[in-house]
Amino acid sequence: MDFEMHYTEEQEKFRAEVSAWLDVNMPPEAVRPVDEGRKPPGLSDAAMSLRRRLGAKGWLCPLWPKEYGGGDLPVEQAVIIGEELDGRHAFLPYDLGVILIAPAIMVWGTDDQKRRFLPPILSGEILTWQVFTEPEAGTDLASLKLRADKEGDHYVLNGQKTFIGSDYRADWLYTLAVTDQNRPRHSNIGAFIVPANSPGVTISPMELIAGQNKNNIYYDNVRVSRDQLIGGEFDGWKVANSTLELEHGGASRMVEGHFVDLLLAYCRRATRNGQPLSKDPAVRDALVEIWMGAQVERLFNWRNYWMRTSKIPWSWEGCQTALFRKQSEPRVAHRVLDILGPYALTTDPKLQALRGEIENQQRMSIMSHPGGTPEAQKIVMARRIGIAKTRQKASAIV
Amino acid sequence: MDLSLTESQQMLKDTIRRLMERECTATRLKEIEASDTGFPADIWESLAKIGLVGLSIPEEFGGGGGSYEDLGVLYYELGRACAPTPHFSSGVLCAQILVEAGSPAQKAELLPRIASGDLILALALTEQDFGWEADQVALTATKQGDSYVLQGTKVFVPDAQVAHKLIVAARTPGGVSLFLVDAGSPGLSVRNVTGFIGGRLNEITLDSVKVPASAVVGVVGGAAPVLDLVLARSAPVLAAYMVGGSEMAFEITRDYAGTRVAFGAPIGTFQRVQDHIIEIVNAMDAARWTTNEALWKIDNNKPDWRIGASLAKAMASEAFTTATHHSHEVLAGLGSVKDHPIHHYTTMSRTLYWYLGEPKLHRQKLADLLEL
Repeated sequence: MDFEMHYTEEQEKFRAEVSAWLDVNMPPEAVRPVDEGRKPPGLSDAAMSLRRRLGAKGWLCPLWPKEYGGGDLPVEQAVIIGEELDGRHAFLPYDLGVILIAPAIMVWGTDDQKRRFLPPILSGEILTWQVFTEPEAGTDLASLKLRADKEGDHYVLNGQKTFIGSDYRADWLYTLAVTDQNRPRHSNIGAFIVPANSPGVTISPMELIAGQNKNNIYYDNVRVSRDQLIGGEFDGWKVANSTLELEHGGASRMVEGHFVDLLLAYCRRATRNGQPLSKDPAVRDALVEIWMGAQVERLFNWRNYWMRTSKIPWSWEGCQTALFRKQSEPRVAHRVLDILGPYALTTDPKLQALRGEIENQQRMSIMSHPGGTPEAQKIVMARRIGIAKTRQKASAIV
Repeated sequence: MDLSLTESQQMLKDTIRRLMERECTATRLKEIEASDTGFPADIWESLAKIGLVGLSIPEEFGGGGGSYEDLGVLYYELGRACAPTPHFSSGVLCAQILVEAGSPAQKAELLPRIASGDLILALALTEQDFGWEADQVALTATKQGDSYVLQGTKVFVPDAQVAHKLIVAARTPGGVSLFLVDAGSPGLSVRNVTGFIGGRLNEITLDSVKVPASAVVGVVGGAAPVLDLVLARSAPVLAAYMVGGSEMAFEITRDYAGTRVAFGAPIGTFQRVQDHIIEIVNAMDAARWTTNEALWKIDNNKPDWRIGASLAKAMASEAFTTATHHSHEVLAGLGSVKDHPIHHYTTMSRTLYWYLGEPKLHRQKLADLLEL
C-alpha cells in the first residue's frame, strides 16, 4: 500500500505551470468565504471570472474530451489542478452542470444534444442547476408532481420546485417533470434542459439560516421543445439515477480537514483562567474525539479516490462517506459548543472564534439534507450491502 | 497513492484464508475453547509449517523478514477466523523485544526456534496496578551474586500456560529490566483466569524464582523504551486482527439477516435491522483504513507513526466491540447459544478491547502526541 501521492518531474513541471497561470489569472477576491451565505463584495464577479478563465483553458473539466470543451488531460494532471485550486482556497460559483448534468448528457443525450449542450457547460460559459426537489418530493423524489404535458413537438411545464441553486443566476435548469399522469412512478418522468429565461419561469430566493442561498422556481405554462428532452420521454428517473452516486458522496477528492486543524490550533492558543484551553482534560478528550472523526473521514475520501482512479467499482463507499460526514458534523458542533460556550455562537468581530469559522460550523451542522438525508444514505447503503428488498449496484461513474 | 495489496500479499492472504477455513472451523473453535490450555497444536503446526509463525522475524534468524503490512495481512485473516493462537505473544511481542534488545547469543538461540514454532514465549508485563508502562511494574528482581531473584505477581497475561519461556518485566535498581524465565522454573506457578474472556488469560506468581544474569534481555534498568517501542508498533497488528474479526461478525450478521424470515419477510428488509448492520460496516471500515495507514506508516518510518498506531488501536477496539454488539442485536437469542460461532468473536473483542491499551489510554496518548 501507499498512502502518498507521488509525482514525476514532468508532473511537477505541470504543477509549476498551473501555479504560474493561477498567479496571473485567479482574481485575489476569488477565495472561499467563511460563510457562503454572506459573500464579501467582489467575490461573485471574481468567482465567475475564474470559472470562465479555467473553462477557456480547458482546466475546468480537465478530464473531458476537447471537442466538448474539456482539456483531454490525464487524471494525474487533473488532480494537480484540483490541488493547486484547493491550496489557494479558490472559490467557484455553484454549478451542477459540470459534476452531474454533463455526465448524464454524455450517457443519455443524442449526438446533437452533446454538441449543443456539452461545450457551453464544460467550458464554463453557462451555469446549470439541478432542478429536482419539490415541496412534497425530497427524499422520495419519485413522487414529484411538476407536469410536462405534450403539445405537438413541445412540452408545457407547470408546477413548483424548491431548494434549488444558489444566488448565482443559472442559464439552464435541468428539470425533472412528469410526462404522463397515468403511468406508474419511476416510468412517468422526463429530464429536460430548460433555459432559465423561458417565458413563465419565475425564480424567487429563499431565506435560509445556513449555507448558500437557494430558490423556489415556479413554472407557469413554460414551453420546452422536444429536442431539450434528455433520454426518452419516460427515462427521466434512470437519467437522474445515473448521476446520483456522484452527488451522494461520490465526488471523491483528496480534501484534508482544514477545520479540525484550525480548531486544535485555536484551542492550544486561546486561554481560559490562565491556561491554554487545550490543557483542560475534558477539552483534550473532546478535541481528540473530533480529530479522530476527521481522520476517518479523510481516509474514507482517500479510499474512494483510490478506488475511483483505479476503476474499482464501488459498493457502499460513496453513501457511507456522505453518511459519516452528515452524522459527524452535528457531533462536532455539539462538542465545540462544550469547548467554547458562547464564543462558538458569535460572529461579533471582537468576540468571534477563528474569524467566524466556528460560528459557521455551528449553523452548517444542521444542514445534513443536501444530496440526501442521513436516513436516505442508510437506505442506499442497505441496498448496496445486499440486505434490502431492493438490491442495487452503484451507478456507473462517468 | 495505491491502497491495494501487492501480488505476494494477496497470495499470502488467500493462503491463510484457505488454511483457516480448513482448520479453524466453528467446531474446532468450540473444542479449543473447551480444552485445558486453549492451545490449538494442530493449527499452530500448520502456521509454522508454511513459515507464518516467524513471518516478521528477520531472515537471518530463520524468519520470513516480513513487513508490518505483511503482518497485517496475516492478522486480518487470523482475526476473521478468531484463531486463538499464541502468535501475538510469541511471534510478535516477544520476538520483537528480542530483535530490539536481545544479545547476539539470545537472538541466535531463541529467534530461529520461535520462528519454527518449537518454542513459545509470552510477555509477562501487567500487574495489579494495571497498565502498559514500565512505571507500573512492581515485581522485583534482586541481585544475588551472579543471579537475580524474582518476586511478585503478574495478572491478565495471555498464553502463559502454553509458553515455554516468559519475558518478565521486573523492577531493578535504576529502572525496569526484562528477564527470560523458563516456565518450569521452581517457584513459578501459572493459574488460569476465568470469565467472559477470549483465548486464555493467566495469573503468574513468581516466588523467589532464580535466574542467571545472562537471562537479562537488553540493558539492566533499560526496559522502558524497549517496551514502549515494541508495544506501540505491535498495536496496529492487533488492530488488524480486530478488523478481521469485525469483518466476520459483519458477514455472519448480513447472511443471517438475508435468510431469517419474520413477519413474512427476511429481517434484513427491516430498516431497524439494517441500521445495526450499517453500524457494523461503518465501524469496521473506520478501523480498517486507520489500521492500514498505521501499518504503512511504520513500514515507511513516518515521523507520526505513533499517532497512526494509537488511532488504529483506539478505532479497532471500538469497532470490534461495536460490531459484535450489533451482531447480537440482530442474531438475538441465536447469538447467545454456545454452538453459534459469534460468541467467540464477542468474548475476543472484549478481551482485546483493553489489550495493549483501551481506547481511553490511546486517546490520552493522542492528546499528548497532538500537543494538546
